Amino acid sequence: MNRFLSKDFLSGLMFIGFGLVALYFGQKLALGTTVRMGPGYVPRMLALIMMGLGLLICVVALVAGSEPVEKPKWKPITLVTIGVICFALLFERAGLLPALIVLIAIASFAGSEFKLKEVIANMVVLAIVCTLVFKVGLGMNITILRGVW
Amino acid sequence: MELFDNLALGFSVAFSFQNLMYALLGCMLGTLIGVLPGIGPVATIAMLLPITFHLPPVASLIMLAGIYYGASYGGSTTSILVNLPGEAASVVTCLDGYQMARKGRAGAALSISAVGSFFAGTVGTLIIVMFAEPLTRMAQKFGPADYCALMALGLVAAVVLASGSVVKAIAMVFLGLLFGLVGTDVNTGAQRFTFDLPELSDGIDFAPIAMGLFGIAEIVVNLERHLTRTGSIKVGSLWPTREETRRSVPAILRGTMLGAALGVLPGGGPTLGAFSAYTLEKKLSKNPGEFGKGAVEGVAAPEAANNAAAQTSFIPMLTLGIPSNAVMALMVGAMIIQGIQPGPEVMTKKPDLFWGMIASMWIGNAMLVVINLPMIGMWVKLLTVPYRFLAPAILLFCCIGAYSLQNSTFHVIQVACFGVLGYIFSRLGCEGAPFLLGLVLGPQMEEYFRRAMLLSRGDAMVFLERPISLGLLITTALLLVLMALPSIKKARKEAFQEEG
Repeated sequence: MNRFLSKDFLSGLMFIGFGLVALYFGQKLALGTTVRMGPGYVPRMLALIMMGLGLLICVVALVAGSEPVEKPKWKPITLVTIGVICFALLFERAGLLPALIVLIAIASFAGSEFKLKEVIANMVVLAIVCTLVFKVGLGMNITILRGVW
Repeated sequence: MELFDNLALGFSVAFSFQNLMYALLGCMLGTLIGVLPGIGPVATIAMLLPITFHLPPVASLIMLAGIYYGASYGGSTTSILVNLPGEAASVVTCLDGYQMARKGRAGAALSISAVGSFFAGTVGTLIIVMFAEPLTRMAQKFGPADYCALMALGLVAAVVLASGSVVKAIAMVFLGLLFGLVGTDVNTGAQRFTFDLPELSDGIDFAPIAMGLFGIAEIVVNLERHLTRTGSIKVGSLWPTREETRRSVPAILRGTMLGAALGVLPGGGPTLGAFSAYTLEKKLSKNPGEFGKGAVEGVAAPEAANNAAAQTSFIPMLTLGIPSNAVMALMVGAMIIQGIQPGPEVMTKKPDLFWGMIASMWIGNAMLVVINLPMIGMWVKLLTVPYRFLAPAILLFCCIGAYSLQNSTFHVIQVACFGVLGYIFSRLGCEGAPFLLGLVLGPQMEEYFRRAMLLSRGDAMVFLERPISLGLLITTALLLVLMALPSIKKARKEAFQEEG
């Protein structure tokens, strides 16, 4: 089983996967001829070569073996991603301040230490800095708090 | 002398108050982010890309170049003071730089590194001035098939120098090329891989990809590593002793020459320069045992080589439009966003931009020495700020920066998505740099490929019939064959082990 959880085998699978996605969504694109290539010619060519390379990587990884993939730590990547997406969702609907508070709170949880006082201090400082730099300084059209400023 | 006319034009552009300010601002911001441990120049430039977009083209490129130098310099500072390199090129600086710091000679190491970098930067700038014109003239003879072959060579050469598996790196190039094709097809107007999202019809924006792939992914990896702080940092006197000066001057000269030569190669650049310079010094030294224990040559030569190579790697990018490493790919991306297609036309059609940027490179290097050495105390303070404060702050600035690109939260979502992808890449040991190069060159390469095939009436032999294209393709093939040779494979593995 370990053989299949190696870095190389999984990355080979990733390339094959991306190739399949490109072929599937590119099937409606006209191929054209070699003289007048349609929009689908080059993508399909690239996808096929990439899948070939992916397959090669997989086979080599199975035969020769490769480094096992490290067990991922889910917390940082999940929390950071959720934080950024929350920021994107809140920024225009509610304003910079709520988006900032949510992002900093979630991102702070992603680290190894979480001290409430420090996080609140960080939020206050960053809120002031961002308002001054982006709204006042650079004059960007940003809502700080929807309906208020 | 045309050369001096060109330089005079360049300096007249670069010395305008506005451009000087942007160069200064770039250097400062670059150092500010670059000095944060674990964040290298690529991540720094990626994160700071949005602020340069709203400037005029000349100013924005001047500022980006400033950011690059600042970030490299900041990287050396962290390597010397806390032994945390932000990029592969400064790994070597850590070896002896940190040992010097432990002996209380951090100040001397920092100033030798700064002066060496400045000298190397000056030489590098002069080399660019000398080579830019002849190379550009040569490039103007290139037809579509030649360009296609040149890009293939550039991509393969860049891959050869990416650490790890060559096949994986090539596959990453293809993946990057595919991502580069997203959007409206220029020839037919067909929508490709846009999933009916109007935001994607102009292609995936370059900045969110770079920010996610390098910025966010790097923060996440740092969060996983639990960066711990070393206690107090003492810089000590900035003045090197007479002995240190005597030993570092020839090292700086050798490093500069080696770095400048290696930087021009496609796929070369700072990392290769720094590593070769270190090895060379170790071989030439009378007492190689000192290396790794705080030998001053071990700081002077790689730092000079690093900067000389950083400088000369602009040559293929400015004259041919071929980026040789990830940083140059970012510069190409920034130029395209500004509406400039990098290539030989830049010099003839926009001489003010071309020579202004070159002149400002030298100014940027000079500024680093002038502003950074006196401000070293401030950078040291910054190093003591715990990562749990920095990480959320950097994330926040990335989000606002991504939003500001086109005032759209769609870009912020994109940053998040590419952050995840970047994390997967780093977990699977896939290099981000080849992906970025493919992404930047993808649309152009497809253009040239299709044009070449149209001109030759669908005959792929055109790539082998034109002498320039044939020569370039043979070089590419040779490089690939060389990589497959067992002895080279082994040497390459060892070289990267030293690095890791």
